[in-house]
Amino acid sequence: MIPEARDFPAPAALRPWRLLSNPQDWNCVIFHFICLTAYACAFWLYLHPEVAGITGPWSRIAFVLASAMVLGWISGIDVGVNFHNHSHRPIFTSQFLNRWFGRIWTFSGGWPSFFWEYCHVTIHHANLLSAADWTLPKHSADGKFENFQRYLFTHWPWRLSMHLWKDFTARQTLRRRSFRELAIFLALWSIPFWIDPVMAVWLWALPHWIANAFVMNSGMYVQHAGCVPKTPAKPVSHSTVFVSNLFNLTMFNIGFHSEHHDHPRVHWSELPELHERLKRDLIDGRAHVVPFGNYHAAFLLAGDDARQQGFAEQDSRYKTTR
Amino acid sequence: MGRLLRTYVSPIGLVFGRSFFPLFAIVIIVGAALWGPWVSLGVTVVAIATALRSL
Repeated sequence: MIPEARDFPAPAALRPWRLLSNPQDWNCVIFHFICLTAYACAFWLYLHPEVAGITGPWSRIAFVLASAMVLGWISGIDVGVNFHNHSHRPIFTSQFLNRWFGRIWTFSGGWPSFFWEYCHVTIHHANLLSAADWTLPKHSADGKFENFQRYLFTHWPWRLSMHLWKDFTARQTLRRRSFRELAIFLALWSIPFWIDPVMAVWLWALPHWIANAFVMNSGMYVQHAGCVPKTPAKPVSHSTVFVSNLFNLTMFNIGFHSEHHDHPRVHWSELPELHERLKRDLIDGRAHVVPFGNYHAAFLLAGDDARQQGFAEQDSRYKTTR
Repeated sequence: MGRLLRTYVSPIGLVFGRSFFPLFAIVIIVGAALWGPWVSLGVTVVAIATALRSL
């Protein structure tokens, strides 16, 4: 846990014997264990090819492709959205559990938990859309982001590693802690390689690349594309709000992104209610609100100018009448 | 009956809804043993295309 998250006080009503900070956080735990189960199933079938009928090279390729795509998809959500909740509001009442569950949470997405928290909370949230926010795509002063595909393929792990190396080696306390966390991560992350190195490349490392490049990076891109830093004149133009009910149901309400950035300590399950309360302010402040989720937004922003125009369109329910 | 639905069915539905994607992943992976890897691959491609088009 980074200090900011670790020191966050538990709710007053909390009983010392309670395991979770919020009863809704069972959803986070269940989600993560289902993800680990999915990896275990894929590994087992790969190691027992006769069971799945993948004894030939082409059938094995088909299995690996299907598995890697869905594993990458869910790992991107598991770290980029699910663990993300934990980085703002630790889900357990025990600090020990928070630290260790965090470590076994992000290793299946290709990240040491401390590294992800540092990028997201210390860099992204504290410096949103400023020059110091190196987690976002490179952008000009008017908010125009670099090319979508360039960000997807160059950010993780290349640019990230460079920035993290600079930050972590600059301060002794960070350096010591980051090396310790990296060692724990490598010990956990290497487990599939000890079982079967070829399997680990295709059903472990490849899904992690898909999770980071296509799910997490595209999410970061669409959440802030075309946005500008928060100012008194433009208080809610720093993030796009995605109001698709299905998207928010399956993605821990991450679509309410403007609300999340303005109130990062609000629990993920309470974001729809907060959104309703702030709806008038969003409309009056001309917040960018779209009726779909991150996935369709990524599809639009990956296209030509005509397709990108579809992303810029405002949800009709959130158009200002003034 | 309404109370029963609110007390049990709604929370269970929410748990399944929130874990929809990892459950779908397990169906795709384990399903490969039932209906073959090509069907799993086809369904995955269709699911991704659908998400990109509408979610």
